[in-house]
Amino acid sequence: MRPRLSHRVATAGVAGGATLLLALLVLPVGALLLRGGVDGLLQLVADVELQQSLALTALVATMATLVTVLLGTPLAYLLARERLPMGALVSALVELPLLIPHPVAGIALLLAFGRASPAGGALAAAGLAIVGSPLGIGLAMLFVAAPLYVSAARESIARVDRRYEDVARTLGDSPWRAVRRVTLPLAGRGLLAAAVVMWARAVSEFGAIVILTYNPKVASVLSYDRFTAFGLDAALPVAAVLVLLALVPLLLLRALRGNRLRPQ
Amino acid sequence: MIALEHVGARAGEFHLRDVSVTVPAGAWGIVLGAAGSGKTTLLETIAGVQHATTGRVLLRGADVTALPPEHRRLGIVYQHGYLFPHLTVAENVGYGTSNADRVREISARLGADQLVGRPVASLSGGERQIVALARALAPQPDILLLDEPFAALDPRRRVRIRTELRRLQRERGMTVLHVTHDFAEAGTLGDLAIVLEEGRLLQVAPPATLFHKPVSGAVADFLGADNVYAGRVESPPASVETEGRPLHFHGDGIELVGMGEHPGGAGHAVIRGEDVVLSSQRPGPTSARNVLEGTIREVVVHGAQARVTVQVGSTMLVAVVTLAAVDELGLADGGVVVASIKAAAVHLC
Repeated sequence: MRPRLSHRVATAGVAGGATLLLALLVLPVGALLLRGGVDGLLQLVADVELQQSLALTALVATMATLVTVLLGTPLAYLLARERLPMGALVSALVELPLLIPHPVAGIALLLAFGRASPAGGALAAAGLAIVGSPLGIGLAMLFVAAPLYVSAARESIARVDRRYEDVARTLGDSPWRAVRRVTLPLAGRGLLAAAVVMWARAVSEFGAIVILTYNPKVASVLSYDRFTAFGLDAALPVAAVLVLLALVPLLLLRALRGNRLRPQ
Repeated sequence: MIALEHVGARAGEFHLRDVSVTVPAGAWGIVLGAAGSGKTTLLETIAGVQHATTGRVLLRGADVTALPPEHRRLGIVYQHGYLFPHLTVAENVGYGTSNADRVREISARLGADQLVGRPVASLSGGERQIVALARALAPQPDILLLDEPFAALDPRRRVRIRTELRRLQRERGMTVLHVTHDFAEAGTLGDLAIVLEEGRLLQVAPPATLFHKPVSGAVADFLGADNVYAGRVESPPASVETEGRPLHFHGDGIELVGMGEHPGGAGHAVIRGEDVVLSSQRPGPTSARNVLEGTIREVVVHGAQARVTVQVGSTMLVAVVTLAAVDELGLADGGVVVASIKAAAVHLC
C-alpha cells in the first residue's frame, strides 16, 4: 500500500507543479489578450503610428538577422568543427551578451558606438549615426539576439557528421564547396530555426533599444511609451498585438521542428 | 602506390604511431586489427582528412603529406557509407564526376542502377554500401581506401560485389587498402596484410605468411591461431645461423621443436590446428619432431571438420581434423591419442 500511496503523492505533486507553472506562464498573456486583443486588432487597422512601428520593428529585426546569418554562420561552423584557437573562450564571449541585463547592454553599446566614442565618431562622420537611428535599433537587436543564432547554428552544424564533408573532399570538393554542397543543406532546417529564434528575440527587445534609440519607436518602445504617457488602457491594444504577432515565429518554429531531418 | 614513412596521427585521444608500410601499385592491401587499433585513422591519414603529425605520406611516389584530400585523387568508402541524405542515389553516385557515362557504367557493374529511383533513406545497410562504393569509384580513382565496405552485405551480394571489385581493381590497376575483420576476405583478396595494434604496426606480410608465421604471440592471438604458447626459445650458439634450423621451445607446460628466425629467449610457439596429426597409437619411426601423447577433452564439430582439444601434460593442444578421421579413429572425450607435429609447423616468434 505504501508504495502506491507515495506514487500517488508524487504524481499529484508533479501534476500540481506543472499546472502552477503553466498558470504562471499563461495567465498574464491570457489576461492581456482578453483585455486588449480585440481592441488591438481593430487599432492595427486604424493606428498609423502602430503600423509604422511594427513595420520598423520587423524590417530592422530582419536586417539584423540577415547580417547575423551572414557573419555568424561561418563563426558557428568554426566553433562546431573546433577549428578556432581558444574556441571555448570565443564561445563564452559570443554568449556573454545573453547574460548581461539588457539596459546594461544598451549602456555598453552607447559607450562603444555613441558620438563621443572613436567608432561612433567615425561612423557619424561617414553619415551613419547610431544613436537615435534605425541603425542603433539594429545594432541593439544584433547585440542581444545574435548569440542565440550562433549557439543554435553551432549545435545544428555539429549534428552533421564531419565525415560527410570528408567524403565530399575526397570526391574533389574544396572545403568551402563541401560545406556549401553538404553541410549547409543538412544543417539547413536548424539554421533556419536558429534565425527564426533570433528574429523573434530581436523583435521583442526593449532594454537595449530604449537606451540607444527611443525614437523612431519600435513596437516594444511604443507600448512602453503609451503606458507611461497615457496609461494602461492606451498601452493594452499595442501590447496585445505584440503578443499575437509573437505567435507567428512560434508556429514557424514548431513547423520546422516537426519536419526536422531524421538522422541517416 | 601507397607509402607511409614513420607516419603518426592523432584522432581525439587516439594516436597512430610511427607507421611505415608500402603497398605497391596495383596491389590489394588488407588492414587487420582489433577495434580501436587505428585502422580507420590510418585510412583517413592517407586520404588527408586526418593530418599526419609526423612522417610522410606518399601516393604514386609523390609526397602528398601537405596536400588536401581533394588533390590526392583517391576514393574512400566507410562502413556506414555516409551517403548524402539530401541527394538522390543517382546524385550520390555522380557527386564526384560530371561524366554521366562513368556513373552509368559503375552503377550497372555494382548493381546500384537498380537503386537509382529510391530515396537514400529507404536503402538498407548493404544497399548503402553498394551506392557508396559506386560513388567512390565513379571518378575512377587509382587509389581506393575501403573501411569494412562489405560488412552490411548479405553473403550472396558480398561475394558478387567482392568479385566485381577485384575485377575492377585489376582492370584499372588500382591500389587498394582495405580494412576488414574478415580473415577469409583477407586471404581471398589481399596481396599484403598489415596488422595494427593500439596505433602501432605489428606485422606486414602476404596473408599466407601472416597466418602461418605471425611475427609475435599478439599477432597469432589476434589472428585466432589455434595454439599459441608463451615460453622460452633455447638460444642457439652465436656462431650458428638460426634460419632454417630447428629450435627448442619450452613453456606453458609443453616442450616443442620448432622453426623460426628467433634469437632465443622469451617467445611464442604458434601451431595451426590443421598441422596437428592425430593417431590412435604412437607412430613408428617418423619425421615429425614433436610426438605428444594426450587425452581428448573435447570434440566440437564445425561443418565438415572437427576441433579436437587434447590435454598434453598440463596444457591444451587443438587439432583440426575431418569428420571421417573422427569416425575412423573413434575420437571422443576421454580417449587417448598421439599428436604428431612437424618442426616446420611449429612457428617460433
